[in-house]
Amino acid sequence: MDVTSKTSEVPEEPAGTAVTEKVWKAGRLEPMPIRKLPDAPPSMHILGPTVFLVALGVGMGESYMWPRLVLVFGPDIRWLFLVGVTLQAFVLLEMARYAMATGESIFFGAARVFKPMMWFFYVAAILIYMWPGHLSAGAAAFEEITGIPWQVTACVALVFVGVLFSLLSVIYNFLEKLLGLLIGLLVVGTSVIAAIVGNWDDLGQTLQGMFAFGFFPEKALSEAWFPIVVGSIAFAGPSGMQQMWYTLQLRDSGAAMGSHIPKIRGLRSADQAESMPSRGFMFDTEDPAEMQKWKGWRKWVTFDALLLFWGITMLVTISFTVLAMSAARTNPDVASLIEGGDRDAALSAMSDAFASAGSPILGTLFFAFIALIGLNATLGLFDSFSRGQADMTYYFVPGAKRFSMSKLYAGFLWGVITFGILILLFGPADGPAGILDILAFLSTFAMGAYCIVLLLVNNKLLPKPIRPGPVRNVIIGFGAVFYLGMLFYSLIRFGVVVS
Amino acid sequence: MTQTADLKQLAEFSVPAVSVGAAAGVIAGGLAAFVGQPFGWAVATGLGLGVPLMLFGAGYAVLMGTGKIPAGVFAPAAVYWVIAFPLSLLVHSVVTEWVVTGTPGLPPEPWKFLAFRALVSMGFAIGFLWMHEQIGRHWWPHILERNIYARRTVEQYSHLAAALEARKAATGRGRKKRVA
Repeated sequence: MDVTSKTSEVPEEPAGTAVTEKVWKAGRLEPMPIRKLPDAPPSMHILGPTVFLVALGVGMGESYMWPRLVLVFGPDIRWLFLVGVTLQAFVLLEMARYAMATGESIFFGAARVFKPMMWFFYVAAILIYMWPGHLSAGAAAFEEITGIPWQVTACVALVFVGVLFSLLSVIYNFLEKLLGLLIGLLVVGTSVIAAIVGNWDDLGQTLQGMFAFGFFPEKALSEAWFPIVVGSIAFAGPSGMQQMWYTLQLRDSGAAMGSHIPKIRGLRSADQAESMPSRGFMFDTEDPAEMQKWKGWRKWVTFDALLLFWGITMLVTISFTVLAMSAARTNPDVASLIEGGDRDAALSAMSDAFASAGSPILGTLFFAFIALIGLNATLGLFDSFSRGQADMTYYFVPGAKRFSMSKLYAGFLWGVITFGILILLFGPADGPAGILDILAFLSTFAMGAYCIVLLLVNNKLLPKPIRPGPVRNVIIGFGAVFYLGMLFYSLIRFGVVVS
Repeated sequence: MTQTADLKQLAEFSVPAVSVGAAAGVIAGGLAAFVGQPFGWAVATGLGLGVPLMLFGAGYAVLMGTGKIPAGVFAPAAVYWVIAFPLSLLVHSVVTEWVVTGTPGLPPEPWKFLAFRALVSMGFAIGFLWMHEQIGRHWWPHILERNIYARRTVEQYSHLAAALEARKAATGRGRKKRVA
């Protein structure tokens, strides 16, 4: 692999032109032409594509799994959540490093290092994300409010998402605005509910528990709880392949070198899409002016990672934990239901507790927010999955370039929707019981694997001046050991994958 | 500009900030009505929470419009809501007590009540800022011609627009020009 020779002369378009240009050789695939890095947005507060990661990440882990652990083990267990989310914030920053420097997805980066790694993610994504089970929590909460059976809501939501995404001209712009508004509503609403029903002591205990480093009760090491604890840490913030998809959203938002790549369009406008270049681009890292702009982009994404991603994920779990503690205080049945692990019964009991403790509307509000979380996750998930698969198919499946990226995106979107509806009507929503363990394994394994991919692509494929420093490498390396180590420990010691 | 005209402009400029408070109130009141609570109860809950949040939201917009605090920056919003959010919840609590028992009353341990809400206000401040910007970026350009405060705020964002323009230009250059 030639990563040391900075530039070489190769023709960009062999047919018809004899012009040569500076390129950056990265890995085994086509070299990246050098292009100008655009200026970073000066206003650091402008919202970026992290909104997708927040929409995907703030899900059941935050609203159910962690409140459950707090009720079982006490608030001190929350230090593990702090570690999990902080680790994910660093992963976000490192994912952004490659995507912003090249305009390529992390999947493309993986293929540059070793193609089979990319194929692993390709197959794993289909296996993990084609099941419509993720719709069930939000749709079930909607059923509690309206009485409409959840399968009906889920099927309607699936078709709605498909039609909506097909009609849009540029999908990213619309989704960013919509998710931005929905998450804003979620954050405002969650704060208001927590402020109404929670109290100082609950919050004090929850916050204190975040710094109880090293607390690990005997019970948490048991066969029954260890896989759940590991699963909860892995699912703190974005889980599975969600961080990898973030690189595609960064590219489509036009962040840094992503601005040289055309945007994905809805099916209706797919023919207007500009032609997709066959690889990403690199900027001149030896030009001080370009490096200055790069620093601006890093600042922009760091703000996104810290305030939006870390801050909002923390806020939502803290609020939901405070809510669970207050519900358990009002109604002791809630604690045993939550401990028992029946999610729907536990959420229902929490809602009842709020209704009787604070004011009757709080129970409904609680369900409304679970439904909102479900809607955010569904919108984000369908878009991200289709984006990721379209990207890998376009670049690496022979003959796929005949179709535009936008058409491939539409193909995957409608494929997963059709399969989802069929499964909702005739099959098990989460996937066949026999493969549930395999799916849980793949999801956590993918997280350990992407940490290794990150270390490889950022240290081997990027020019030296923009590679990560030793501290960041150690943190990402720790991530790989953390996810894979706990996964295999759970598997070998208890014979159970995470849950 | 007369004082009335000025106030009218400020009120118009404050629409996005007021809508965030209204959203909180409407959600609370609307859902109360939806689940079959008496109409009066739903209205009282909605107003008890919505009105103070709307008023404080307007206060924030006035400070921003008159240039006392910068547009869309987190720290001033956090400081503002650390005071305004607990007070809004206090009003809500008093109103709820009034509706339920017939006489208004403070919550038990009022200082602890306020301190807890002050901590939670951080979250509200992020959500407020987020929604304020999302709604404002559609509303302010719409009233730009007749509203000096909207114009000033849009100007604050204008160097961002310039940067976006530069990004587009860079893309254009990237496609056409080749470095020899």
